[in-house]
Amino acid sequence: MASIKILDPTAKRMDDNASPGPDAGELAGKRVGFRLDQIWRCWDLISENWAQKFETAGATVTYWRSTNRSGEEGEDQARSLEAWLKTVDIVVSGLANCGSCTGWTIRDAIAAANSGVPTVAVATKNFEEFAHELAARGGRSGLRVHVLPYPLNELSREEVEPVAEAYFDGLLGVMGASLTAREQAA
Amino acid sequence: MTIHRITPSHRGVSTPKLLVSRDCGPAGCEVDWLTSRRFDAEDDIEAFTTFSLEQGWGDGLPLIPPTDARVRTFLSANDRYPDELIARMPDSSECTVEKIVINAVMAGAPAASLELIIAAIAAISEPDFELYGVNATTASVYPGFIVNGPVRDALDIPYGYGCAGGVATRANAIGRAIRLILRNVAGQVAGVSSQTTFGSPGRTAGLLMGEWEEKSPWAPLAERRAGIAGNAVTAFSTMGTMNILDTTSTGAMAFLEMIGKSVSYAGANCYSPAMEFSEMTIGINPICADLVAREVPRLEDVQEIIWKHARVSADWLQGLHRGQLEDQGRVRGDGYVYATPEPKDLVLFVCGGLGGLHALGLHSFGSALAQTKSIATAVPAAGAVAAA
Repeated sequence: MASIKILDPTAKRMDDNASPGPDAGELAGKRVGFRLDQIWRCWDLISENWAQKFETAGATVTYWRSTNRSGEEGEDQARSLEAWLKTVDIVVSGLANCGSCTGWTIRDAIAAANSGVPTVAVATKNFEEFAHELAARGGRSGLRVHVLPYPLNELSREEVEPVAEAYFDGLLGVMGASLTAREQAA
Repeated sequence: MTIHRITPSHRGVSTPKLLVSRDCGPAGCEVDWLTSRRFDAEDDIEAFTTFSLEQGWGDGLPLIPPTDARVRTFLSANDRYPDELIARMPDSSECTVEKIVINAVMAGAPAASLELIIAAIAAISEPDFELYGVNATTASVYPGFIVNGPVRDALDIPYGYGCAGGVATRANAIGRAIRLILRNVAGQVAGVSSQTTFGSPGRTAGLLMGEWEEKSPWAPLAERRAGIAGNAVTAFSTMGTMNILDTTSTGAMAFLEMIGKSVSYAGANCYSPAMEFSEMTIGINPICADLVAREVPRLEDVQEIIWKHARVSADWLQGLHRGQLEDQGRVRGDGYVYATPEPKDLVLFVCGGLGGLHALGLHSFGSALAQTKSIATAVPAAGAVAAA
C-alpha cells in the first residue's frame, strides 16, 4: 500500500508554566480567599469549616462566589474576580465537582496563580484527573490541586463535617502552608 | 433578589489576523504555506481511519486523508489564506483557516461550505457562547446551528422534512466537520477534556439545519436577532432534540400552551442552580406556525404566550432544589420558576416537514447564549479551481 503525507488536524497551545507557584507559607496575618460557586452545598460547608481553622491560625478570610459567566453578568464577574484577587494573599478555589464547574474552578485558579498569589484548586476524586488536564490546557500544568472524596455533595451536613476535618491538614500540605508552634497549639 | 436578566456582554473576540503570505495567494504559490505537521500514513481510507483513532483525531467514522493536494484544492475554491486566525478556542489554541480546512477535508465537507464553517466557529468562540463550559460539562450539550439565506439551498442544508437529522445530504459532512474542529482544535473530547456523562448523537454528526424562511410568517431568525438579511448562521447550545407531539389542540393558544408546558421539566438545565439564566430554542413546524400567526401575528406575542406556560411551580420542587433557586431570586411572586428570564430569551424559528403535528425543543446548557453571524461569500481567485 502506498504511503502518503497527511496534515495534522489538531491545534494545542504551546506554552506552559509547570511551576506550582509560591508556597502559602505561614498563615498568621495572611488574607485567605475562598472561591465559591452556587451549586455545591458541600463546598460551602467545607469552606466554612476551613475558614474557622484559618482564622484560628491568625489569618483573615474572604469569599468570592462565581455565578454567571456570560452576558453582562459574566463581564462583571471577570472584573469582580480580578479586583478580589488583588485583596488576598492565598486563594483556595473550588469546587471541581462537575464538568463545567471544574472548568471554571481551574480557570479562576489559573488566574489567581498567574497573578502570583499562592493558589490551590480543590477537586473531588472523580474530577482530579480532569482538573489536571484543564490546568495543563490552560497553560499551568503545575497548578496545585487538593483532592476530596467523591461523592460529596450527596452527603448530609453531618457527614460532610468529618470530611472537612480530615482533609484540612492535606490542604495545608498541598498549599505549602506552615503553622507556627502557637498556631499548632491552637 | 431580582431576576437575573440576559444582557449581551461587550466582550468581543479579538483575534489578530496573522498574515504572512498575502503576496502569495491561493491561486498559485511556490512556497509551502501549509504549516501543519506532516505525518506518514497509508493511502487507504480504512487504514487512515484506524490511524486517526490511534492519534486521537477521529470520531470512528471513515475519514478522508487530508493530503496537501486535497487541502490546497479545498482552499483554492475559496479566497481565504490558511494562516488566517479565525478564533482562539477555550484553551487558547488557535483555530486557523488551515486547521478548519484540514478537518473539513477529513469530514468530506464540500469546499463551498468553508465560509459557513468559519462563521459557525466564529459564533461559538464569542465569549457569551461560553464554549469553555459547554466543552467541559457533564451535560450532553453541543453547539447546534440554524442557517438562514440562499446558502441553505446552495449547500443542501435541510429545513423541511427530517431537518434535525436523517436527511441524506452532504450538509451532514459540514456538521461533522464542525464536530471534528471541536474535537481536534477546541478540545471537546469525552473523558479527556469533556466530562459529558452521556453525550449525544449530535456530538458526532452535529446539528446543522436551516430555517424554512419561505414558510415562516415571521422575519428570518438572523434578521430578527442581528439584523442580518441573507446568509447567516445562528449558533445555540442544545442538550439534544426533544419532540413535542400535539395531535389534539385547536387554535394558537392551545398549541403554544402545549409547547410551553412540554419544554418545562424539573431536570432541564434551565432550572439548574449552577446558572441563573438560560435561553431555549424551539422549532415550530410550518403548519403550526401558519395557524399560530393567523391568531397571533407578532412573534413577540408568541414568545410571551409560550413563556407564560414554560415554568414549574416552586412548591413542586424538592426542598433543597427550591432553596437554591429561591436564593437566586428565581422564584417569582406567583410562586413559579420560569424557564427563561424573559420571553425574548425563547429563540423561535420555523422548520420541519409539512406533516406538522410536532414541535422541536432544543434545551440550552444555560450560560451559553446564542450568537448570530453573517456568512461571507467566497470569491475564488481566477482560475484557481481549474489550476487545482
